[in-house]
Amino acid sequence: MQWVKICRQSLSSTVNTTLTVALSRHKFIRRSMASDAITRFDFLVIGGGSGGLAGARRAAELGATAAVVESHKLGGTCVNVGCVPKKVMWNAAVHAEYLHDHSDYGFDGGHVHFSWETIKTKRDAYVSRLNHIYRNNLDKAKIETIQGHARFIDGPDPTVEVNGKKYTAPHILIATGGFPSVLSDNDVPGASLGITSDGFFELESLPKRSVIVGAGYIAVEMAGILSTLGSKTSIICRQTGVRTNPGRHIPFMYPTNTVFRGVACTRGGHKKACLILFTFPLQVLRNFDTLISSNCTKELQNSGIELWKNTQVKLVSKTSNGLLEVTLVTKDPEKKNEEEKIGTIQEVDCLLWAIGREPNTAGLNLSQMGVDIDERGFIVVDEFQNTTRQGVYAVGDVCGKALLTPVAIAAGRKLAHRLFDGKEDAKVDFSNIPTVVFSHPPIGTVGLTEEEAIKNRGKENVKSYKTSFTPMYHAITTRKTQCIMKLVCVGKEEKVVGLHMQGIGCDEMLQGFAVAIKMGATKADFDKTIAIHPTSSEEFVTMR
Amino acid sequence: MAALCRVRHRWKRTNCIKLLTRNLTGTFDYDLVVIGGGSGGLACSKEAAQLGQKVAVLDYVEPSVKGTKWGIGGTCVNVGCIPKKLMHQAALLGTALKDAQKYGWQIPGPISHNWSTMAEAVQNHVRSLNWGHRVQLQDKEVKYLNIKGSLVDEHTVKGLTRTGKEIMLTAKNIVIATGGRPKYPTHIPGAVEHGITSDDIFWLKESPGKTLVVGASYVALECAGFLTGIGLDTTVMVRSIPLRGFDQQMAGLVTDYMEAYGTKFSWRSVPKSVDKLASGALQVTWTDKQTGKDQRDTFDSVLWAVGRAPETKTLSLEKVGVKLNEESGKILVAADESTSVPNIYAFGDIGEGRPELTPTAIKAGKLLARRLAGQTNELMNYDNVATTVFTPLEYGCVGLSEEEAESRHGKDSIEVYHAFYKPLEFTVAERDASQCYIKVVCKRGGDQRILGLHFTGPNAGEVTQGFAMGFQCGATLTHLMETVGIHPTCAEELTKVNVSKRSGLDATVTGC
Repeated sequence: MQWVKICRQSLSSTVNTTLTVALSRHKFIRRSMASDAITRFDFLVIGGGSGGLAGARRAAELGATAAVVESHKLGGTCVNVGCVPKKVMWNAAVHAEYLHDHSDYGFDGGHVHFSWETIKTKRDAYVSRLNHIYRNNLDKAKIETIQGHARFIDGPDPTVEVNGKKYTAPHILIATGGFPSVLSDNDVPGASLGITSDGFFELESLPKRSVIVGAGYIAVEMAGILSTLGSKTSIICRQTGVRTNPGRHIPFMYPTNTVFRGVACTRGGHKKACLILFTFPLQVLRNFDTLISSNCTKELQNSGIELWKNTQVKLVSKTSNGLLEVTLVTKDPEKKNEEEKIGTIQEVDCLLWAIGREPNTAGLNLSQMGVDIDERGFIVVDEFQNTTRQGVYAVGDVCGKALLTPVAIAAGRKLAHRLFDGKEDAKVDFSNIPTVVFSHPPIGTVGLTEEEAIKNRGKENVKSYKTSFTPMYHAITTRKTQCIMKLVCVGKEEKVVGLHMQGIGCDEMLQGFAVAIKMGATKADFDKTIAIHPTSSEEFVTMR
Repeated sequence: MAALCRVRHRWKRTNCIKLLTRNLTGTFDYDLVVIGGGSGGLACSKEAAQLGQKVAVLDYVEPSVKGTKWGIGGTCVNVGCIPKKLMHQAALLGTALKDAQKYGWQIPGPISHNWSTMAEAVQNHVRSLNWGHRVQLQDKEVKYLNIKGSLVDEHTVKGLTRTGKEIMLTAKNIVIATGGRPKYPTHIPGAVEHGITSDDIFWLKESPGKTLVVGASYVALECAGFLTGIGLDTTVMVRSIPLRGFDQQMAGLVTDYMEAYGTKFSWRSVPKSVDKLASGALQVTWTDKQTGKDQRDTFDSVLWAVGRAPETKTLSLEKVGVKLNEESGKILVAADESTSVPNIYAFGDIGEGRPELTPTAIKAGKLLARRLAGQTNELMNYDNVATTVFTPLEYGCVGLSEEEAESRHGKDSIEVYHAFYKPLEFTVAERDASQCYIKVVCKRGGDQRILGLHFTGPNAGEVTQGFAMGFQCGATLTHLMETVGIHPTCAEELTKVNVSKRSGLDATVTGC
């Protein structure tokens, strides 16, 4: 009974390091009563994705007994249907570009053919290997893996039920992530004939004709991969639109770094009706700096991707040959008197909705728990990842802020340090999170866009430096891409608050600059740095 | 003949008058005369012209022993960074062809590489850069003279044209930026007659074939790397250690990777002679220092990469009293690039103790021009220079090597964080990543200020630049840790290093 009391105490105080550490010495303490067995841990994590695993492993390293509940495969979105398989496919596509350039560099070769089946098999094998590694990592750290769907049940302490068994812990972390939004057949007849990014990773062959709906980074990445590998690809993007709160439907891409800029709702779970104004892009990636969105749009078009602007999908139907016919409505809202234009794309074998992501909270029974969600269904957390219910925390995509693996990992680890290492002020700093879009060529961005900087600091205090050039790689190739770069500086000291670029190598270029910008680098610091020659990145330190 | 003599006579006379007027009136033809149209000289002269100075730049390329010559732009553009990186790129594409097959690309038949196609494309690009430099000089109103310059006195430069014509130029200030050229081991019989250097390799019309690269400097390893990459049988002959001056653990990884990808190494070997056989092949004899025995093999080409010597011979430096370092032959320079003679400055590869790198020369040249024009007092800071070696596995670094950090601060005062990581692009391609490594050398204790940062892996050049900037700003290990990673990239591994060498823990990165 003694330890139950301790348990209660540690619950009532938000952080109680000494007690928790003392507790952790009792590994896998189970309190059994004949009918109502509850397994207890120090730290119970719901969701075995990047954030949850990082949190659980760090907690275990700090001496806590931990368990992870996962209903699907370990590794979450990133490993199974996100970053990792996406980048593998991007790499395959980059090889296609290299193959174009081989003869310019002196290689004589025959006609090449791409086998989607080969890469799919290898990719799946690699992902399974990672699933396995993650499982081993958990086992090695003595973290219990519980397979199944978690559901909070009533009780004085937050308790979770998985497959009829009950589990509890003074600290429960929700890290269930999200999933791609879909439209119902009521919204768009035939919408369910399409797939999402999840389905993209199940495709068994390269589609001949692809239609991607959306203009966010996932749409851009998917379209880039498909088109570069040889699929005739179209991107369908809408323009300005006003619509009321769509509830759980967020049929738009979230920007990658600062999310929901356009949402005018108050946080804190107040279920008040609100009007959301989404500005749909004339160009792709509208939340990025205009230099990036316009250049990316140009690069997409140059690479042969068809862009339908001001366009929505009206109807999807299956024809007798098993292929899809996608009916589109185009209307430029600027031209009020103009009639809607109806267009169709025929013989489509891949219709991919890339219209946003939603939180994975269904079935958790959060409402009963006093864990507030916002209007879009995302769990409301404070800067320390605390939900509105004491002892319950949330990290990662399920919170709807900066949907990025490294952010979730950082949040999970910081939380573990706060709960089990006495680091009371451990929290993630959401400023200056660097992001790469694996488009062709890739995009790198960190900090504020020029527009944001002007809005924050006034036009007179913002100075931007730009450059654009053809990377040396293309000096002897017939195929060309541009590299564009921009530094956004504010104030007299020209503090660099934003860095944006698109071009070959930008994916690997960004990280170091992100460190410097986080340190508060000024334009003068850029100027002071000696260039590395010959690289593309040296252009940042030689800008005038 | 008589006419020619007259012209000559007139020239001499005008030159005499010129010197006389200058001495009497104190006016010069130019504010600045720059000898050497390489990266540094061009940057200096253009900057000076932009600041309103009257500038002339003299560039003259003495053909190599093999007769290779090129245009304006110096080593970097013609026989250095630019052609080197393009050929490195070709080699990377060779590796990519193998990887592509693992990525689902079916490539029928054997793939061959055609040297002439590549070389011609590279040479055309270099020529376009030569042209670009001349256009820029014209735009910025810098007088370009394709003449060989030498010093007459502290204000006078004598130029010699290809046809032997002499031109006298007077200037308020003279800047020497003539750079350096590859050395030949003249004591080895046959070395000069039968060998080539980096001055020639990029301008060969035909493939060098089976090649012996002698030396283990970055020039040697880069050349051997791209030759292997385009499918040539390549051997590197190393007397002592590879990449002297660089972190030796990293240097070892670079050569390990090269060995794994087909470059042969002849360690601890010293070449003795090169003979041309009747077949045209070159027979090289060398001594294996380990066994003391002589060995022999034949090659199609022998490339000497045994160091570079400053281009000072024809400058008449002694005549005007410009002091040299006797050992290196380089010009002794002060922090403001001044030499022992007033009004004469020197910088770039020719300056004693200066890094032999294009970006430092460019920056130093610009700053010198600004100081000479009275715009600033700012001196060039030669510390914290980042660099990248474009070997098959690229190696980028900034700051101190582990050895240097140890000797400066003591082993107990530094903490070395490291990680063996696997680039995602290697996984599906089933490539061994044992040489992909990161090392961050920090001061021990306190906020663990970074002393040196080292990275081997794909795109090291692009990865290193940003970190070099963080380093310049005084980054600590905490700064790295607090920066959110970019997933999945190689560069993100630098923000995740957490295993110290001292801990003895396994530094292999697992999972995300």
